Amino acid sequence: MSFSPSPEQLHTLLHEADAAARSLVRRMRLPRHDLEDIRQDLITDAFARLAAFDPARGSIGAFVATVMAHRATRIMRRVIAERRMFGFEPTSIDAPINDGESDTLADTIANDGGLGAVWGQAGEGASTSAIRLDVERCLGALDRRDGVLCAALTTKSVDELAAEGHGSRAGLYRRIQTLRGTLLARGLAAA
Amino acid sequence: MSNTIIPFSTARLRISEIDFCGWLGQATPGDCLEYHRGFLALDGMPMATRLPPKDRTELLKLGRRAMWAAEQGLAHLVQRRHGPDDFSYLAVARRKPKSSPVSLSALLAEEVA
Repeated sequence: MSFSPSPEQLHTLLHEADAAARSLVRRMRLPRHDLEDIRQDLITDAFARLAAFDPARGSIGAFVATVMAHRATRIMRRVIAERRMFGFEPTSIDAPINDGESDTLADTIANDGGLGAVWGQAGEGASTSAIRLDVERCLGALDRRDGVLCAALTTKSVDELAAEGHGSRAGLYRRIQTLRGTLLARGLAAA
Repeated sequence: MSNTIIPFSTARLRISEIDFCGWLGQATPGDCLEYHRGFLALDGMPMATRLPPKDRTELLKLGRRAMWAAEQGLAHLVQRRHGPDDFSYLAVARRKPKSSPVSLSALLAEEVA
């Protein structure tokens, strides 16, 4: 049974969403900028369930309040699960440092402190140059044939090189395994 | 003629080839690593059965890599004798030899052999 809310009923729905979202943000001590997202989540869910509303069984306000209470519970469980997983309250890197300020948390974190640095990604400037120098030093210590293979592997996969007739897959993988040890012994670890 | 049979002691693989390379890459000159204890010539032989086949294969790779390191001037290889068929095989890190750097772009232009 399809149901189209009247303007008054729509006003009731939006009012209930405002109240439920504010209550959830307050109870879960969520950041203020989450209020809009939670309100939208509640409204979207309520609209999706409006088809189940039966005016003979109760008012639109009571129906929407029940639907939004259930949705809010699911949101709350998700937040609790995230906090349990991460051990703290996750904060968006785009959140302002203080309310009303334009500076965000991202502005306070240096490149060396980012997730990329944790996983060994090269930062800007000096570290990138140092890696490049190390790579060129190690390439100079390799046999020319091995150096050319290393260069080719920057643009092509082993399968592609084998398909082009530069050796069998097994042979290429054996050479790569040997090269891995050679480069490691020269002081060049895997990225 | 002696009737005493001296049994060969059981050897074991202490370090893999890649671990040896890792040590070599970060070692400072003078650092010393015992990469094998036993009798390398015998430990690598299938009929000696001192090591499981997989470990024996790894030991052969390790031995070849240690020799390569010595030939490349990255390490000195020395031995210390403890008793019959019982040696410590030591690698002493050397200062890494200088080599002329080669740019990646120069190699990119060449054909893979």
